[in-house]
Amino acid sequence: MKTLLRQHRYALTVTIKRLLSQPFSSLANLLVIALALSLPLLGASLLVSVQPVARQLSVTPELTVFLKTDASSNTAEQIASKIRRDHADQTSAVRVMPKDTALKELRANPAWEQALKVLPGNPLPDAVVVTLTPGDDLAARADKLAHAWRSWPGVDLVQLDSAWVQRLEALLRFARIGLILLALSVALVVLATVFNTVRMQALSQREEIGVARLVGATESFVRRPFLYLGAMTCSLAALIGIGVARLALIPLNDALSTLAQSYDAEFAIFLPPLPVLVLAVLCVAALGALSARWSVQRNTRF
Amino acid sequence: MIEFKHVFKSYGRGRNILSDITFRVTAGEFIFVAGPSGAGKSTLLKMIGGLEPPSRGSIEVNGQRLDELSARARPYLRRAVGVILQDTHLLYDRSAMNNVLLPLAVTGLAPDLARARARAALEKVGLSTKEDMNPIELSGGEQQRLAIARAIVNRPAILIADEPTANLDRETAHRIMSVFRDFNRVGVTTLIASHDETLMAEYASRTFRIDPGKFTDFSGKGQA
Repeated sequence: MKTLLRQHRYALTVTIKRLLSQPFSSLANLLVIALALSLPLLGASLLVSVQPVARQLSVTPELTVFLKTDASSNTAEQIASKIRRDHADQTSAVRVMPKDTALKELRANPAWEQALKVLPGNPLPDAVVVTLTPGDDLAARADKLAHAWRSWPGVDLVQLDSAWVQRLEALLRFARIGLILLALSVALVVLATVFNTVRMQALSQREEIGVARLVGATESFVRRPFLYLGAMTCSLAALIGIGVARLALIPLNDALSTLAQSYDAEFAIFLPPLPVLVLAVLCVAALGALSARWSVQRNTRF
Repeated sequence: MIEFKHVFKSYGRGRNILSDITFRVTAGEFIFVAGPSGAGKSTLLKMIGGLEPPSRGSIEVNGQRLDELSARARPYLRRAVGVILQDTHLLYDRSAMNNVLLPLAVTGLAPDLARARARAALEKVGLSTKEDMNPIELSGGEQQRLAIARAIVNRPAILIADEPTANLDRETAHRIMSVFRDFNRVGVTTLIASHDETLMAEYASRTFRIDPGKFTDFSGKGQA
């Protein structure tokens, strides 16, 4: 056990010496891998930051039943009662939003205040806001209910308020797939860079490898410094990549904050949580070691 | 210790470099392998070190049949055989001390113990004052001695050297030979390939003579 630990310590020392003996080349490799890694990291940050917003919105799916403007004042109550009676199992809340209340709420919003002032009367209809019980088949269920309610007398329009959330979800699904493809491309970049770095190192250490074998080195002994080289280069690059992504988020979040404030909202992009980042660094290090092993196996057959 | 049984060696479909070689070397022997250039002296030594496989026949070194040895076990055999090739294969990116430390790093010896053993090896070959020097700063004879120090630092049971005195002046050649003789006196089986008849006459107790197509085993001084 002690012997193995000493051999690992020797391999680690050799790796650090080799990295330091070519500082510019090592740094260039680190930067290439770090920049490549920062791209999917930024994408992942955007996804993890947007996902909770979408999730929060989609858990309160609502259908709004807008009545015709000439509908009588008690039509809204009648429709609300009908919904409660006929669709009790599919709805968790039904409330009537009289047009006067809706106008009052709208006037409270500074963005609408000026526009509403110039209108002669209340252009808004009475409405019934229906909160659906959540479930997997929500979109289909909401569509079915909306279709049925549209034919009821006095109903002008049934609007599925969570439709845009579904579109956002679809967009996020698309982004997730895009991110996976980007991550795979970056993994290939990492593989190729480490493979080539190790190949160059193996060729430049040809003499040492030959002598080590001559004096009884096992293949594990020969390969070990290269595996460390791959793993160390990649883990260092991953850490630099996280730093780069963190720095890039500062101006991005500044710009986003201004944009979000104009909608009276708050939004910022955060890096994935620490355990995820640690896991990512470990995965990249493993990828580096794997690539190094492949390279050293191919390039030390002499 | 070393046993060759009907060993043949050829490269590709070419002629046999070595044909039907059979001999047995017991522990502690001091043997010269003589013969003209291209006769197969280096090949024979490399086969003992497990660096070249025979085309036919069997070789046993240190109680192990080489053809039965797995790839994983081969490095451990090499640790028991100190090899000094014609080209010393010293590493010029590190000091003499670090060259000698490499075989000990391979075995995973504790650093302080390894350093002490490397220093002792350098002292045995007369290079104790030059441990921090780069091999490129050493003379040809000193480089040979450094290669010897590296070969013996793991205390091998067998030492093989391919033309260790080639291109060296007589005085240096004698110094190198006396180093080998010293190791042999403490029980290290030593095989040296050489075509220096004078040295053989002086140092050999047994000589293998390889001529194209013929292998002769002489016992005693200067009979090759």
